[in-house]
Amino acid sequence: MKKIILLAALAIGFTQLNAQKQFGTRNAKVSFIATNDEDVKAVNNEVASRLSDNGQMSFSLLVKGFKFEYAEMQEKFNNDYAESNKFPRAEFKGNISNIKDINFTKDGSYKAIVKGTLTLHGVTKPLTVNGLITVKAGKVSATGKFPIVMKDFNIDASAVTEKVNADINAVYQ
Amino acid sequence: MKKWTKIILTLVLVGAVTGGIIVYRIFTKPHRDVTTENAIAIKAQALFEAFKNDEAAANAKYLDKAIEIEGEVLDQSTNQDGQLVVNFKTDDAFFVINCTFKTNPGELKPGTTIRFKGICTGYIPDANVVINEGVLVP
Repeated sequence: MKKIILLAALAIGFTQLNAQKQFGTRNAKVSFIATNDEDVKAVNNEVASRLSDNGQMSFSLLVKGFKFEYAEMQEKFNNDYAESNKFPRAEFKGNISNIKDINFTKDGSYKAIVKGTLTLHGVTKPLTVNGLITVKAGKVSATGKFPIVMKDFNIDASAVTEKVNADINAVYQ
Repeated sequence: MKKWTKIILTLVLVGAVTGGIIVYRIFTKPHRDVTTENAIAIKAQALFEAFKNDEAAANAKYLDKAIEIEGEVLDQSTNQDGQLVVNFKTDDAFFVINCTFKTNPGELKPGTTIRFKGICTGYIPDANVVINEGVLVP
């Protein structure tokens, strides 16, 4: 009898593990704009992102994928500031700390507090983002905004800006 | 006019012209046009293996370069800015070559083999190699 109960418990445990839902996209959008010069802005539409209904969240992007309106700025950004040959990727890994408030099976907009780390220019720093998870007809999307202070990531862009505002928009499949 | 006034005026003029040229260059320099570049031709599967086996070596060879890739279309979608995106198949079910078109090539059916020329922006482990700003090669 004990064995049966144990087996049943294990079986339930496994189904719950399997029931964990993953959402993903290879084409999330991340953009940024300099706080003091709106001509300095760029967008990357090839951001890989994963979100699990247990709250785990990740974003990974290629720095060379940022497109500027002006080619000269794009070149300077890659060569002088972000050093994209040396540091080709930027990454965020984190967890939604209030995952209990989010129902992935019910339509709605849910506030999400995402705590994690951002790795950029070879430097990893803790980051908390107040984002929004939207569920609509089974489709899940996530948005969030946060500032990035250049010197926190050892980027010397003082000739252009000390800070940019980043904007994230992921539509999961 | 005194001599030093002349010198200062000349310096100011030279400064203004240099500044003007710099600003002019920033706002007028054209973006890369991949269609006019010679590309490295490679199959989707070979590009995936190159990055999976040795990312640093593959970056040195392919990063920021014009690539002409040949492969089988897995799926087609549109990004948030309305550009067409095609994923090329590899033998790893979770890994693709993610290609964004700068000009719309029309419908590309899954299962067909096509050639795409674009700029390689790098490798995201467990996800994809990215090539963007591309066009369909007839």
